[in-house]
Amino acid sequence: MTTQAEREVRAETAEPSRKTEKIDFKMVTFSLAGKEYGIDIMSVKEIAKASRFTYVPNASTFVRGVYNLRGDIISVIDLRIFFHLPAERKEDEALESLIILKIDEHVFGVIVDAIDKVVGIAASSIQPPHPIFGDINVKYIKGIVENGGKLYIILDVEKIFAPERPEDTPKSAVPDLRGEAAKTESAEAEGAAGGDIAASFVKETLAAFRGFHVTGVNEAWFRSRFAEWKAERKDSDLQLREASEADRFLEGFWSPFTGALWDEAYAAEVERALPPIEAKSINVWNPGCGKGYETWAFACVMRRRYPDARVKIWANDSDLLAISMAPNMVFPENIAEYYRPFTAKGRNGLVFVQAVRDSIFFEFHDVMNANTLPPLDLILCRDMLSFVAPIDQKRLLGDFIDKLKPNGIALCGANERLGEGWAAAGTEAVPAFRKEQ
Amino acid sequence: MRVEYINPFVEATFNVLREVLQSDVKRGELYLKSTSMPVMGVAAIVGLAGDVEGRVLFDMDKPTALKIASAMNNEELKDFDDLVKATITELANMITAQAVTKLHDLGFRFDLTPPAIFTGENMEVSNADVEALIVPMETGHGKIEINVAIRERA
Repeated sequence: MTTQAEREVRAETAEPSRKTEKIDFKMVTFSLAGKEYGIDIMSVKEIAKASRFTYVPNASTFVRGVYNLRGDIISVIDLRIFFHLPAERKEDEALESLIILKIDEHVFGVIVDAIDKVVGIAASSIQPPHPIFGDINVKYIKGIVENGGKLYIILDVEKIFAPERPEDTPKSAVPDLRGEAAKTESAEAEGAAGGDIAASFVKETLAAFRGFHVTGVNEAWFRSRFAEWKAERKDSDLQLREASEADRFLEGFWSPFTGALWDEAYAAEVERALPPIEAKSINVWNPGCGKGYETWAFACVMRRRYPDARVKIWANDSDLLAISMAPNMVFPENIAEYYRPFTAKGRNGLVFVQAVRDSIFFEFHDVMNANTLPPLDLILCRDMLSFVAPIDQKRLLGDFIDKLKPNGIALCGANERLGEGWAAAGTEAVPAFRKEQ
Repeated sequence: MRVEYINPFVEATFNVLREVLQSDVKRGELYLKSTSMPVMGVAAIVGLAGDVEGRVLFDMDKPTALKIASAMNNEELKDFDDLVKATITELANMITAQAVTKLHDLGFRFDLTPPAIFTGENMEVSNADVEALIVPMETGHGKIEINVAIRERA
């Protein structure tokens, strides 16, 4: 079934490329509602023109029906309806342009407005998606590329069509967070192992007194701290009876320099943990910035690490009292040398220079409400995930995954780890994680 | 919402209310809200544009609106008529304008849209993806809630 369109595509591919760039990514391009899109050719089995799809009752609206492709029954999806784009409804007899995709073992067809050609590009020229392409959810876009004066939006068909495996759902973003169930389960497991039901009581009281939730993010720290605690208390009287005891339990948890400006060594350590970023502008999110010390310190680290980039830091906290002082913070004269180049004399002490001030937006904001942020290069969330309820943590980590650019990293607290779905990218002292591709 | 925006709105509200009502005004605890919120009965809204996008909503119940309008006009108003509406609209305008002037002095550029007033029973404002700062004000004439939602233009 070699169609006209198919022959055209072959002709295009055969044409020698005049580009000097290395071509290592080929895509089939097509149009949807007047815009140009591309799909990685490795996912495309063939293209075809077809009509008279067999209607399937009770299927989603974007499923046009099934089609007999040389004996194989494949389902046919209308990509325009899938993305809520205007689709002209053709006569039943009229031929539709069909791209046959093969993803994992599944073969199916997608209907598009018109198939254009095969375009070869350098994978390195693909830019990350930009929220401006509002028609289609950014998470379904692999990137955008310019070729021959046209911009192509490359769709991530694997994300769109891969059968939802349990680990693909946002839940997976969170390392082993089964909420209450997890608590009791692990408590039972421990109980069986060492007759230790006390651990689960400690977990409960930490949550009640200080809003500290033991989840996959900090489980490892909790276990070792609990063992210490047991040794300290000589196995008797393990429970936390008041808030001050909870504070004592949490003493070792805090990341270095919580509520203070980072010292030189730690700032240098953070600087080392940051990845090289080529982009001209770098977006950073710092949820739970508290009084803002870490934001100021990080802003200086950013200026040293990426001197040529335009850095923007969105720093949020839902504690109005803590954050309200942050924008106008004044520092003593004996500030660490590391920060000195970025400070100037103010009326009551040292203040950071305008360029640093301009890079930070301190916002009174609750991260549980909608987070309106551009795509992010970095997330700085030290000791913050541990203080949101497991269910909110799950949502927040989903947000992290959504907002972080493919090469972006999230820096978390010294005793926190992001689990499944994240790959370690930091150093011993500064744990950082990148999205697993 | 940027921390720098909070004080100008709180101060402007406080100053203007105290000035026009010639009475004591108490500020309640500030908080954030993002779910849909009921409107007490009279809502004046002023849009903001410029470096930012957003809106300020002044929310109060009808008796409060009547009493405030009476105080501002120096006469006893009984019906919720055009004069009352115009007065409440003007109040919204005064407060927002003063806040925007303060912000302008701090280097933030905001533009205002003309205020609009909504009245009715059982009204609700919902824009789920907008987080608003609520500034509750207790005046001698009743409660006014100032609901400020501003975000940076991306």
